[in-house]
Amino acid sequence: MEAMAEHSQETRVTGESGADKIQERLQRRHQARAEDAERKKEAKESRSVAEEKSEYFSSTFNAERASIEELLSSCSGADRAVVTQTLEEATVKTLQLQKFLNDSMLFLTQYELRRAQDALQKLLTSSADIREEALPKKKFAFRARSKATDKVSAPPVTDTPAVTDSTKVDVVAPAESVQCCFSNMDNVCVIKTAEEIHKQDVLLTHLTNCKVRLFGSPSTLHMTHIDNCEILCGPVSSSVFVDHCRNSTLAIPCQQLRTHNTTDTQVYLHITSRAIVEDCRGVGFAPFTFSYPTLDEDFIVSGLDRDRNNWSQVDDFNWLAAGTPSPNWTVIPEADRKTNWEL
Amino acid sequence: MGLLTILKKMKQKEREMRLLMLGLDNAGKTTILKKFNGEDVSTISPTLGFNIKTLEHKGFKLNIWDVGGQKSLRSYWRNYFESTDGLVWVVDSADRLRLEDCRKELSSLLLEERLAGATLLVFANKQDLPGALSKEAIQEALALDDIKSHHWCIIGCSAVTGKNLLAGVDWLLDDIAARIFTTD
Ligand SMILES: Nc1nc2c(ncn2[C@@H]2O[C@H](COP(=O)(O)OP(=O)(O)OP(=O)(O)O)[C@@H](O)[C@H]2O)c(=O)[nH]1
Ligand SMILES: [Mg+2]
Repeated sequence: MEAMAEHSQETRVTGESGADKIQERLQRRHQARAEDAERKKEAKESRSVAEEKSEYFSSTFNAERASIEELLSSCSGADRAVVTQTLEEATVKTLQLQKFLNDSMLFLTQYELRRAQDALQKLLTSSADIREEALPKKKFAFRARSKATDKVSAPPVTDTPAVTDSTKVDVVAPAESVQCCFSNMDNVCVIKTAEEIHKQDVLLTHLTNCKVRLFGSPSTLHMTHIDNCEILCGPVSSSVFVDHCRNSTLAIPCQQLRTHNTTDTQVYLHITSRAIVEDCRGVGFAPFTFSYPTLDEDFIVSGLDRDRNNWSQVDDFNWLAAGTPSPNWTVIPEADRKTNWEL
Repeated sequence: MGLLTILKKMKQKEREMRLLMLGLDNAGKTTILKKFNGEDVSTISPTLGFNIKTLEHKGFKLNIWDVGGQKSLRSYWRNYFESTDGLVWVVDSADRLRLEDCRKELSSLLLEERLAGATLLVFANKQDLPGALSKEAIQEALALDDIKSHHWCIIGCSAVTGKNLLAGVDWLLDDIAARIFTTD
């Protein structure tokens, strides 16, 4: 666009004297330079505006929060009518604060956001507490609600631990849907080929001391209760879900990796989004290096971008402090990485 | 006039709706949201916090909130309940191991006072997977027939292929619109 405008201007000046032309060119160049400087200045300013915004947010948020806290504390010892009115006011202010937070979230860091959400939650909880204590009539409403609770959640009476869960699951599973599942094995070597797992949702559960080789491209992979195993898998087109895994080695390319309740496990990873850990300890990450004869084809089948590997970008959902790294996962030092893989 | 009244007025004028998408982690919430909006779904990471998307559909302005479903985030769900018109509960239909978890989380949401007026759409997602349970099986596993407190509907869909996403959202909008926009 700019070039075009310049071009048409250029055609207009032809025919005028050479000196005029040069004069005008110089002027134009000067102007362009000034504009460029202006642009850079603006960019810099908008960066500092972002910082300022976040400062403005925290000071406004904190001031507002303090005033709500003050309102709430003024309730103690006050009579009913005053408490009712004060609580009303506090609620409206809290909602406004919530709206302010929602409007500000674009420039807040996840950490700031979480802290603000926490603070809001505390305000809501303490005003609910005050209401319950000071206004027993409302308590009646609470009781009515817990009656509803009884009615709707009648089934959970049978709510005994894990065992019921798995029986329930069995009852639910209809014959028509088939999941590719390998479970309850100790000390065996499981090898699956492309035809068996191609585009399947593969489930591995309760495996101990096993070697698992999945040569192909599953749609998704779910593994739970894995102990002392080595699991190598071809490219998984969507997510890999890991729960209760320990002392194991995994090598997988995938779109997402979701690691839960896992300890002392090494992951050789190719990941096109970001990996996460939650309730984990001692999880090591290194780039995926394992290979097998049809890996290239399986990558194509999976649709994963081979040039995009974010293996070291891991979010720990239990560790959101900005700046300090999570103690729950590490990058495996190069010298300690596994290099020969047995097929 | 208080801020809330003003907000409410604005909402009616603009035919605006607020939809809240919840469900266990890995259910496919963010993928549904992006697919519905025609965006690339191959680079989505697990949601740390939430996403919000505002889009126009059938003459309505939809504010869709997609909140992360990881265990550590579920206690924050309540921060998003306020003035929700529609709740979209997303289920990974192939995740049999966590169906019971899924049922419990949903049933406790339905007791929330602040969600009392919301219409419920259940997306039985990932129907493209060979091991996916049918929407009837999900309906049973989540005990949806016991729900008397909310209008609800279950729809089998796939965020990857896009199948039935529109059908689900259309049902939801119709149900909400019939409730809140016909009185004026
Ligand atoms: N096969 C298949 N995979 C899907 C479908 N929908 C989502 N996925 C995959 O499931 C994984 C999880 O999807 P997300 O959209 O990140 O899930 P989420 O519910 O937002 O998860 P959180 O943000 O952790 O709460 C991704 O790898 C998606 O590609 C679907 O319909 N079919
Ligand atoms: Mg998400």
